Amino acid sequence: MEKSTLFLLILLGSTIAYMRTTWRARTLAETSGRKLHSLPGFYGYYTALWCALPGLLLLLLWLLGEGSLLTAGALARLPESFLDGAAPEKIQLLVNDIKSIAQGSFEGQIDPAIQMAADRFSELTQWSRILLTVLSITASLSGLLFAQTRINPDFRARNHVETVVRVVLIGCALTAIFTTVGIVLSVLIESLRFFNMVPITDFLFGLKWSPQIAMRADQAGSSGAFGVIPLLLGTLLISTVALVVAVPIGLLSAIYLSEYATPNFRAIAKPLIEILAGIPTVVYGFFAALVVAPFLRNMGAEIGLEISSESALAAGLVMGIMIIPFVSSLSDDFINAVPQSLRDGAYALGATQSETIRQVVIPAALPGIVGGILLAASRAIGETMIVVMAAGLSANLTLNPLAAVTTVTTQIVTLLVGDQEFDSPKTLAAFALGLILFILTLCLNILALRIVRKYREQYE
Amino acid sequence: MTKLENSTMERPFHREHRSTVGTFTSDNPRIVCRSVDVYYGEKHAVQNINIDVGRHQVIALIGPSGCGKSTFLRCLNRMNDTIPDCRVTGDISMDGIAINGPEVDVVPLRAQVGMVFQKPNPFPKSIFENVAYGPRIHGLASNPSDLEEIVENSLRRAGLWDEVKDRLPQPGTGLSGGQQQRLCIARTIAVNPEVILMDEPCSALDPIATAKIEQLIDELRALYTIVIVTHSMQQAARVSQRTAFFHLGHLIEVGETAQVFTNPQHQLTEEYITGRFG
Ligand SMILES: Nc1ncnc2c1ncn2[C@@H]1O[C@H](COP(=O)(O)OP(=O)(O)O)[C@@H](O)[C@H]1O
Ligand SMILES: [Mg+2]
Repeated sequence: MEKSTLFLLILLGSTIAYMRTTWRARTLAETSGRKLHSLPGFYGYYTALWCALPGLLLLLLWLLGEGSLLTAGALARLPESFLDGAAPEKIQLLVNDIKSIAQGSFEGQIDPAIQMAADRFSELTQWSRILLTVLSITASLSGLLFAQTRINPDFRARNHVETVVRVVLIGCALTAIFTTVGIVLSVLIESLRFFNMVPITDFLFGLKWSPQIAMRADQAGSSGAFGVIPLLLGTLLISTVALVVAVPIGLLSAIYLSEYATPNFRAIAKPLIEILAGIPTVVYGFFAALVVAPFLRNMGAEIGLEISSESALAAGLVMGIMIIPFVSSLSDDFINAVPQSLRDGAYALGATQSETIRQVVIPAALPGIVGGILLAASRAIGETMIVVMAAGLSANLTLNPLAAVTTVTTQIVTLLVGDQEFDSPKTLAAFALGLILFILTLCLNILALRIVRKYREQYE
Repeated sequence: MTKLENSTMERPFHREHRSTVGTFTSDNPRIVCRSVDVYYGEKHAVQNINIDVGRHQVIALIGPSGCGKSTFLRCLNRMNDTIPDCRVTGDISMDGIAINGPEVDVVPLRAQVGMVFQKPNPFPKSIFENVAYGPRIHGLASNPSDLEEIVENSLRRAGLWDEVKDRLPQPGTGLSGGQQQRLCIARTIAVNPEVILMDEPCSALDPIATAKIEQLIDELRALYTIVIVTHSMQQAARVSQRTAFFHLGHLIEVGETAQVFTNPQHQLTEEYITGRFG
């Protein structure tokens, strides 16, 4: 049977098990005249879980391990000469050939040796499928039978279900955690490889970024310039422009919405502003590149300013618009969270509305607002698309917002676009950049969350 | 209480009687209210209130919850203006000057009529800044040392100076509940009001803090006119000279506190103070 069929079958089986056991438990209660420990449904759940989990677990094991075992088996049939001293990429190609021959989708001349391996592959696949079907059905059935034997009025099905549920939840949480840890580790390890080729001090403090030179043969790591400072400066510059746009607009609109606007207007305006966050960044990107940047350049030409057609200003402006909702939405929440009693206190002293807002409400909401701004900043730092399209790729060491700059994220993209050798410093540099970016935004987020949490405690 | 119940089998005014009983006027009134009605949208929350608030007196507003005590209290410093669909009609005047008209500037009025709330609500600022806030916005101090003097005096009058004089720069929210409430009283005093409104100022406090505030109210009477809403009849009896009993939006009975508590005229008043409902 196919794995998907098997999956559905197991689910179906456990559903039936649930219904049957529930019914059985109910009759048991009636016939024996004793009170069950748990509601009948819990016996049903218990059996259903015992029926589903063993089969599904086996299925999962198969999904994870089957592929490598099958290819290993097939490769074992190949003559020694095929594998001796072959590079990993070669072997991977060979495996791909074998698989497509086995599926009958290979076109062209077929080497008899490879054909043999492919036959072996199909054969093993057959066996594996049969084995899986038998094993998983057996497992599910034995789980079912085992659970059935334990059904009696004193059995604490409810507590057992609770345990299983807890294990499942823990499993999900762990999956998320391990994935994150895995990603971080792999970035870290690749970065370490990079730092083996390029000294970490050159990377962190170098003022020149031109990874292309490293592409030339035999020069890897020796003459490519991997100084990250221009990228960090570019990132900083664009993010600053973005924040200069987003913070006043976002904050003031939040104040208007939460303190002055009528509920009806607020109900319409707030979602509209939040839509800004939902526009795909690529749309912002071409808006920046095709509308804002030329507009700025022409404006600059009018008043005698030299603005390059790809500028930090254009990218920053548009990015600022994009992150307005981050600032305004969070600020709005936090302004609303300021207790009415504080406003009343200020009004009762004779403060006007704007005095109350400026001197009491905003200071009280300030930590939350700062948290919102930091989250917006970390969003700006991580933003890629707009910058790729509007700010250019030249790693200028400048603080002039009218010049073209580039950012960490943009460079990661350019480093990885196109054919790459996986262990050239150029490719590995992307991981090091990723690591820097990760650390940067992580710090910002931690800081922001701390501030926000502290504020929450103050008023809960 | 037993004696009281025995002596009050028959009251001159029965439960159905809804117009105010007792002497609602005062010889030397600071605030005069005539035919005051308050509506929340359609809801007629407070109906036809006539009452005088005497100078340098404490008047207590009592009554079951939801009867309109807070609503009426907020008419006296126009705090009902901050509630979107709230409407106040009738004549309210302070020292002969009408305060309920749309032409009245609420900013000086609220400086004249201070308010202390049920839950202490110090600003998230330092103790000093909490008290200094009012004088600052009204420009009461011409220089920093003036301001310090106002803060110190206010804290002294609120009986808090000795407890906080060494920690003025610390946040006001770090004080205990009772201290916070006295800080709020100091904050109110700092703008030099003539009247202080208190809406159940002790209901969030423990008995010791409550006793301190009650003593403070008694002292403040020499300088200010005080209107206090309270849930506790003992408190009303202890701190007030006059008492007004509200029920379902009506002012049922008002008179000298001793009179209201020992010989209420209205059957509802009697039932309420003997604890038969509330
Ligand atoms: N903001 C408001 N909007 C609508 N109705 C209100 C509002 N505040 C109070 N009320 C109503 O007015 C009546 C009097 O309330 P309130 O003055 O708070 O009573 P009390 O202070 O005596 O407990 C109650 O029925 C209450 O439901
Ligand atoms: Mg009230």
